[in-house]
Amino acid sequence: MKQTLKFLIETQRLKEIPRTGWVLMRLEKPETIADHIFRVAFENWLLGRKKNLNVARLIQISLAHDLCEVYAGDKTPFFYWDGLKREIKEEEKILLRGVRLSQKEKIERSKKKFENEKNSLLKLLSFLNSKKKNEIFSRWLDFEKRISKEGNFAKQVDRIETLLQAIEYFGPDEIKGGTSWWELTEEIVDDPFLLEFLKTIQKKFYKRVPDYQKNKYLENSLDFLLKIGKLKRLPRLYWRLRGVKNPETVAGHIFTLSLMAWIFGIEKSNLNIRKLLKMALCHEITAVETGDTTPYDRILRSRSNEKEKILARMLRLSAKEKRKNFWDDYKIEKRALKKITKKLDREIKKEIFDLWEDYRKKKSSEAYFLSQLNTVAVLFQGIWYKKRDENFSTFSLWEWALESIEDPIILRFLEELKEYEKN
Amino acid sequence: MEKKFYLTKEGLKKLNKEYQVLKALKLSKLKGEGPKVLHSEDVNPEYLAFREDIGFLETRIAELEYILKNFELIKTPPKNQQNIVNLGATVTLEDESGTINEFTIVGNLEANPNEGKISNDSPVGKALLGKKVGEEIIITSPIKVVYKIKKIKYQIS
Repeated sequence: MKQTLKFLIETQRLKEIPRTGWVLMRLEKPETIADHIFRVAFENWLLGRKKNLNVARLIQISLAHDLCEVYAGDKTPFFYWDGLKREIKEEEKILLRGVRLSQKEKIERSKKKFENEKNSLLKLLSFLNSKKKNEIFSRWLDFEKRISKEGNFAKQVDRIETLLQAIEYFGPDEIKGGTSWWELTEEIVDDPFLLEFLKTIQKKFYKRVPDYQKNKYLENSLDFLLKIGKLKRLPRLYWRLRGVKNPETVAGHIFTLSLMAWIFGIEKSNLNIRKLLKMALCHEITAVETGDTTPYDRILRSRSNEKEKILARMLRLSAKEKRKNFWDDYKIEKRALKKITKKLDREIKKEIFDLWEDYRKKKSSEAYFLSQLNTVAVLFQGIWYKKRDENFSTFSLWEWALESIEDPIILRFLEELKEYEKN
Repeated sequence: MEKKFYLTKEGLKKLNKEYQVLKALKLSKLKGEGPKVLHSEDVNPEYLAFREDIGFLETRIAELEYILKNFELIKTPPKNQQNIVNLGATVTLEDESGTINEFTIVGNLEANPNEGKISNDSPVGKALLGKKVGEEIIITSPIKVVYKIKKIKYQIS
């Protein structure tokens, strides 16, 4: 368990490393690698299910595909291009167009990138036992080498997600947006369904598309993905209330919980991993509409002058008050979820709703396990902040964890967290 | 209509080898033996992906069987057609600033844009197919990028 904790500590960096392409374009507070992973996973789920692909595998590939960047950093193709260093003043100009190189140079750079990222990933995975290590490594390899249908699909979706984010940042404007994101995407995407999705993106942002054939599923999926993109920019309120600067985003938290669901789920053979992963992805998407919420919001509104005192402890409420709060929140979130998923087709809308409701009411074993993991993920994040600021108190998070966790595996992890906090 | 998979000779050799290794791996798994086949140093690390996952292993074997029944080898076209971009061609392009960009057109099973190998079904691949040296092409939509074809070379292995 100590090693699993070390692994998770290292992956925390992904919630802080901004994606290089955006930094080079001088964007302020761009998405982090973890934020990116979150939407890649959702995009793979939404689009991959229509192709009858293995969605659990797609989500795992999404979670694994950029783990190597913990040590290797987010290296855009430009970083492997010496031209960027030589022409540093022209970097923006270069960034605005695709990577143009001879085939020989492309092969050399690709090999270098692959080796560098492979070694970085293996270093990270060395903390895990062989079962977890092999599973994560094989998903990464599947993505890099496009071995399975899922690996090949996810590779293309990853590129489309970057394109989508570029359009969201820069708009469809040719000067600012540049050609590079389109160029790189159009080199990689060859799946007919994803090519149709590219046309859907064009239709949405550029209006005129020759031979456009409306695909309602894709149009609605695109709108949904744009909506949940907000979670990449939404800082977690729990940390903001406690004065943490640049706290993790909701998307970042979802990334951590999904990763934990995977690596802890491996040890729970009685649980359905596909359900766990999907549930982790949608457990907090209601925040798109409600903003991030915490159990303290209601009481803080009426007793704002006692903020510090209230935040220092876990909320003490009667059973009646707890029930009332639960149902009030449930209704607000249910309304929000209905709004977010309104246009999605009936089947996926129902699936997302059922997963969310199951989680909220802790109906299934997966939901119960995931809610315990969620508690521990928040505590872990709190300890992470305490390591940086000794005045940060994790007291209320410990109170919460100790009263809600009972799974033996998670309890063992809790023991490790105790040690980690002390040392 | 059955889907055709376009493969280079090298690509076919690789897939055949993968098929043999995976079949051997399946057999050793069924017998409850360790995956001896994976200990050989020349074995591609890609096979690691199948080590833990028998379901995935079986899916991949079935997929490979399907591909190996429905492939078409990419051949070098006759001399008089080698000035036209077709599958297997390595195309040298020049953009407006004089920068060179190169692609080899392959089937989707061998595509790897990081190495400049692009699928004949990708928008860039499609834009290049059928073009000749000296022709100007626009390969990016919706933002247009204009290239001139400088050279077409066939070196299929």
